[in-house]
Amino acid sequence: MLLEGKNAVITGCLKGIGRSTMDLFAQNGANIWACCQYKDAEFEAHTRKLAADNNVWVTPVYFDFLDPEQIKTAAHTIRDSKQRIDILVNIAGMTHDALFHMTTMEQMKKVFEVNFFSQMLLTQYITKSMLKQKSGSVINISSISAIDGNPGQLSYTASKAAIIGATKTLSAELAGSGVRVNALAPGVIKTDMTEKMPAEVMAKFMAESDLKRMGQPAEVAEVILFLASDLSSYITGQVIRVDGGIG
Amino acid sequence: MLLKDKNIIITGSARGIGKEILEVCAANGANIWACARKPTPEFEENVRALQERYHGEVWPVYFDLTDHEQFKNAAKTITSSKRTVDVLVNNAGVTYNALFLMTPAAKLQEVFEVNFFSPFLFTQYIAKAMMRQKKGSIINISSSAGIDGNAGRFVYGASKAAVICATKAMAAELGEFGVRVNSIAPGITQTSMISSMTEKVIQETISQSDMKRMGTPRDIANAALFLASDMSSYVTGQVIRVDGGL
Repeated sequence: MLLEGKNAVITGCLKGIGRSTMDLFAQNGANIWACCQYKDAEFEAHTRKLAADNNVWVTPVYFDFLDPEQIKTAAHTIRDSKQRIDILVNIAGMTHDALFHMTTMEQMKKVFEVNFFSQMLLTQYITKSMLKQKSGSVINISSISAIDGNPGQLSYTASKAAIIGATKTLSAELAGSGVRVNALAPGVIKTDMTEKMPAEVMAKFMAESDLKRMGQPAEVAEVILFLASDLSSYITGQVIRVDGGIG
Repeated sequence: MLLKDKNIIITGSARGIGKEILEVCAANGANIWACARKPTPEFEENVRALQERYHGEVWPVYFDLTDHEQFKNAAKTITSSKRTVDVLVNNAGVTYNALFLMTPAAKLQEVFEVNFFSPFLFTQYIAKAMMRQKKGSIINISSSAGIDGNAGRFVYGASKAAVICATKAMAAELGEFGVRVNSIAPGITQTSMISSMTEKVIQETISQSDMKRMGTPRDIANAALFLASDMSSYVTGQVIRVDGGL
């Protein structure tokens, strides 16, 4: 129970790493604003059961990352609840596969809109509350491809690299007021995103990794839990690779 | 109870960060080989107190890291105990502050002996047992000084940089046997080690950190707990800075 009594905002809760993180946080005693793009009956049922099973509240919040107005409204709803906001986990994101010369500016802007600008906008709203409380933990999801580069993923990797720069600058600005900011750089994790990867690319990544296997979303969620909890009380401005050892 | 029934070796567990790692691991349900250079009343009392307070066992193990025969025997005692060795925390180390040009050859060798050669020879014995088990987690304590380089900490920083590189090479070699190897790089931490630093350097370092405070041994021990536990099952070959953002 590493998060007992803490309140967390998690984006991208519908599937993959976001879903695992939501489940693990609830099991560890956190109340959650579970953010995802659109209303979904299965998701709603899941959040209700999760809340009941763990004796916490899990409130679905819906907004589209391509619409700043919706983000603003969602942030206001969260803030107007008058609850503390202890944790923000920015997981929602999109991938885009295209070689550099084949990437249109329109696609590139869309990827940055979802993976960077919208996340920063939401983070501005939420961290204002954290600064008032003088405590908080923000966790951003980057990617090892943002550090190492990955052919065919220019817009995705560049947007995730922007997250790393933002993490370090935010830490420098906010940590003095008690708000820690860190990022995770997952490697190849078994999600819908990696399912689209060609088999030979996947095999190459696994052979390169020290552990010789893919990661599970739950393994990434555990590291997010660590950074959200007080176990990481002196860790800020860091990018932690969760990749089974690549590079 | 993140370490329930895990068996853990901690070196340098009599003082400072190591003593705190010992406490946090015991509080989380681990059985521990608590290594120290020699028996002292304070250490023995702490071992007794931990055994009373927590559910797990604490076995004191004494050896001098500059004496190869001693730590070889200690490693044999541990590996022949018929218990799994789930975690090794290489924490014991020495600091030495001197400018590059003022560092005598004997000190260069002494610092590398304690901070690098001996821990890794000791680790060879323990890693073999972990590979046979097909699982294990090794945590090497390095330092932000081993990444950034600090004036006046030439040999200490160099020895900790060696620890970092060894961590990555060991992770690459041992990963396929299920053994994870990571390092923690503490920044400025409240232990007796900082008594060798001037007040001016301490204040400067604190003001450079994002969090504007010194770390506590508990801050470092909690990061070790994470790397020792299954929470970090897909984390290997990493150096995690626990430095308040330097």
